[in-house]
Amino acid sequence: MFNWTRFRARRFSNLFRRVARGGDGVARVGSRQIYILPTGNGLRFAAVLFVMLLGSLNYQNNLGLLFTFFLASVALVAMHHTWFNLLGLSVQARGGQPVFVGDDTSFEVVVGTEGKRARYDIGIPAGETRHQSIAIPGRDSGTIRIAQTTLRRGLAALDEVTVETRYPLHLFRAWCYVKTDATTLVYPKPAQVAPEPGSAAGDTEPRRRQGSEGMEDYLGPRGYRDGDSPRQIDWKAYARERGLVVKQFGGDEGQEVWIDWAGLTAADPEIRISVLTRQVLDAAEAQVRFGLRLPGLEEAPGRGAGHLQRCLTHLALYDHANDPLQRAA
Amino acid sequence: MRTIPSNERPERTQILWVTLVLIAAYLPLAGHLALQISAFVGLLFAIRLASLRWSAVLPGTWPLAALTLIGVANAAVTYQGWSGQNAGTALFVSMLVLKLMELRRKSDIRLVATLIGFLVVVEFLFDQSPWLVLYLGAVVLGGIALLVDLNGGLGEARRRGAITVAVRLSLQALPLTLILFLLFPRLSAPLWNLGVDPNKATTGISDSLEPGAISELVLNGELAFRARFEGTPPAADRLYWRGPVLWQTDGRRWSAGEGITNSGPAGALLETARPIDYEVTLEATDQRWLFALDMPASVPDGAFLSPDHQLIARQVVSAVKRYQVTSALDYRTAAPDPARLAAGLQVPDNVTPRMRRLVEDWQGRSNDDWALVQAGLQFFNRESFHYTLMPPRLGANPTDEFLFETRRGFCEHYAGSFAVLMRMAGIPSRIVLGYLGGELNRVGGYHMIWQSDAHAWVEVLIDGRGWVRVDPTAAVDPSRVDNSGASRMLGAGPSVRFTLEQADAIARFVRNMRLFADSLDAAWQDWVLGFSVEDQLALLERLRLGELREYGLVALMLAALGLTLGILVVASIRERKPLDPLQAEYARFCGRLAKIGLDRLPNEGPMDYAGRVVAQRPDLAPTVERFMELYVPARYGPDDSGDALVALADLLSHFRPRPARQMPDLLRRPR
Repeated sequence: MFNWTRFRARRFSNLFRRVARGGDGVARVGSRQIYILPTGNGLRFAAVLFVMLLGSLNYQNNLGLLFTFFLASVALVAMHHTWFNLLGLSVQARGGQPVFVGDDTSFEVVVGTEGKRARYDIGIPAGETRHQSIAIPGRDSGTIRIAQTTLRRGLAALDEVTVETRYPLHLFRAWCYVKTDATTLVYPKPAQVAPEPGSAAGDTEPRRRQGSEGMEDYLGPRGYRDGDSPRQIDWKAYARERGLVVKQFGGDEGQEVWIDWAGLTAADPEIRISVLTRQVLDAAEAQVRFGLRLPGLEEAPGRGAGHLQRCLTHLALYDHANDPLQRAA
Repeated sequence: MRTIPSNERPERTQILWVTLVLIAAYLPLAGHLALQISAFVGLLFAIRLASLRWSAVLPGTWPLAALTLIGVANAAVTYQGWSGQNAGTALFVSMLVLKLMELRRKSDIRLVATLIGFLVVVEFLFDQSPWLVLYLGAVVLGGIALLVDLNGGLGEARRRGAITVAVRLSLQALPLTLILFLLFPRLSAPLWNLGVDPNKATTGISDSLEPGAISELVLNGELAFRARFEGTPPAADRLYWRGPVLWQTDGRRWSAGEGITNSGPAGALLETARPIDYEVTLEATDQRWLFALDMPASVPDGAFLSPDHQLIARQVVSAVKRYQVTSALDYRTAAPDPARLAAGLQVPDNVTPRMRRLVEDWQGRSNDDWALVQAGLQFFNRESFHYTLMPPRLGANPTDEFLFETRRGFCEHYAGSFAVLMRMAGIPSRIVLGYLGGELNRVGGYHMIWQSDAHAWVEVLIDGRGWVRVDPTAAVDPSRVDNSGASRMLGAGPSVRFTLEQADAIARFVRNMRLFADSLDAAWQDWVLGFSVEDQLALLERLRLGELREYGLVALMLAALGLTLGILVVASIRERKPLDPLQAEYARFCGRLAKIGLDRLPNEGPMDYAGRVVAQRPDLAPTVERFMELYVPARYGPDDSGDALVALADLLSHFRPRPARQMPDLLRRPR
């Protein structure tokens, strides 16, 4: 079946002017980049006005004409207001927190006005539903959050956002395409299960945990779970009414695990990355020091949120054909 | 059913709002439509309002279908069909209000709000008063505010915000409205024929004369038309405003007559004298005739002159109509065609012997036709005929009874019986319906002719003189005019037929106020309701663009629209860029120096400027140099300029340079 939307997207998308980013990374909507068309409601309004005009002309009813002309003038003025409402807007998009494949990325689009004129009903369309439109007071800005579903790991880029408005009467819709360079990092989707790292492929015997969360270095607090030893509970924190918190100890420096591309046998590199991701997450959960080895890339063993983030970033961006991070380094 | 996204679902306040706006828009119609229609519409309004509190009240699909059928049937039964303005309006209103029952989406409300605009236009077919315009203007404003609110995205203070936006839009739209109203090309004739409502009662005189027809009109306090004379108006008793001409009678009722049509060659005037030009603003009559003084000598656009010297419009006068005519107060008409001559001698069957004896008596005493006419008039004057608005009821033979028994009647009795008597004497005669007289409005400088001025008179055909007007009513002895009772109730004030005394000062004041109000109304009629193609072309003529006709109108309209929109656009987006506070201080600094003749050159930077100033006025050096020490780093440096700003302001507050006592020409600013 002929898909008009896709046809249009392919054929005409290059014909539309886009608002480019200025030197400061903010795109400012210029007059030549605003498109405006009547909405369905606007067309109905026009049809009713036309009938009113014909009727009034025919019956030579001057008051009918007067009101017809008044409503037509209101629509004409409203059209300009719709257009003004976008003119000169500054648009800047930025990526949100990294997410895993399958979760929605979130981008923040900051729309602001540098003049003292307030803007109303500024929104970004997304499929059938429309995001809540916002009003922006003069010399201020507002934030619209948009979410995109993710299908692939890597950098999800928001190449372009459509900023639209139907202010004031919903008779016309004005919109513009704004180029952005906002990206959000998408981590690979972790596999459901993964073999213990550091052991031979196929060896499913669980690695005996070296030491326990006992008398080693203090790592930090975490929430109480069933089965935690009462000795590890931070009673002082409890007394300060911060709830049950457990002091974590562990990770003796000698114990480290290598999470290694070569240690897996799956043929599909994406499955390998998925399994590696699960291993990284498991290792981080288990509070062990771990390192990551990918072909041509090695992250030294470490621990903590920063280390986890670095490893996941490597996995997200890893290009098995041609590793970009390696080349950059 | 598809689910409706949450931001498309209307809010309860918006439903309330649209219901209230629709109720407000309907109210003026309630007086014009039948009670059944208002009852149905009122029921729907009640359901809608109740459903805001108890949502179960709202009808489902089947009850709604039933309600729709009831609404359609209600309108059809009330007006016996679909044709006509009332029936159409009733149907439209019923369906529009039914739409209130299913406001699932915001777009449903938008549709209702849009159609309220149509409803407003329909209402002007019923009433065109300025008050209605103001009222419906407010209703429309409410509708626009509703559209703004439905669109949303207004942020805080939304209700007040919606109304503010609506008012701003409306104010900006007003100049455009005015331009469109003045210059949008109008039609001089309708595109399609207007279905005249058969059930709608016409106002004003009709095309037949029956006992009681005119006395009914006399009690009607409405205005028939206004006339504005160029030059001195004729005396009030010469103001015979000519309308339909009646030929045929059955002894009781007068009508136009079979075979007598308005088509055919226009009635010719062989001689005319005392021409008079005037303009008539005729209220809607839903008839085609136009009134003109005896005898019309010119024909306005869109009209023609009938063989009976009556002005007939080519279209039904369904709205206020303005036209210019020239009439000749003295005239001699040509003889009528044979068919009319025969019709002018037709005598009803119910002629009685005493009527015949009366006519024979007159014939015996007169040498010629004109003397016989005079004899007839003397009969009305001499015998005890009374003029009264409330004549006794007449039986089967009204002419005979009136002439010999009751002798109390109104112009229709006098004219009808006189014409019959003349015909019996062999003088062709006919009855003319129209208006007599008119009240001069000194405030507005025009005459007001009321429905109560309706009159009927007779025209007799005299050899060598053509048709001559004879008004038997005027022959009645003034002492026998009954000016008590009903005539006192007339809203129309004194007419030439009655000499009502002007009462005390309060009555005069009330009368003057009424005249003043009528002048306002006349201005409204002339400039708003009656504004027409002719006025547009006259406006164009005044701008010396008359030759361009409609094209000139369109070109002028587009140019004016473009210009006005341009001004609006520029005014909306122009924003004065606020000066940076530092730059403002610098501007003040430059201004002080400019006062003593040391203007900054356009291409001069601060340092160069300061250098030149110091070179010319070494006495100012400390302040100028201090200023630059503060200003330049603050303006161009990376640091915060807050402290510098305070220091600069302090410095400038004491900086009042005076002109040098002797300024050598060499040191003046270079040119």
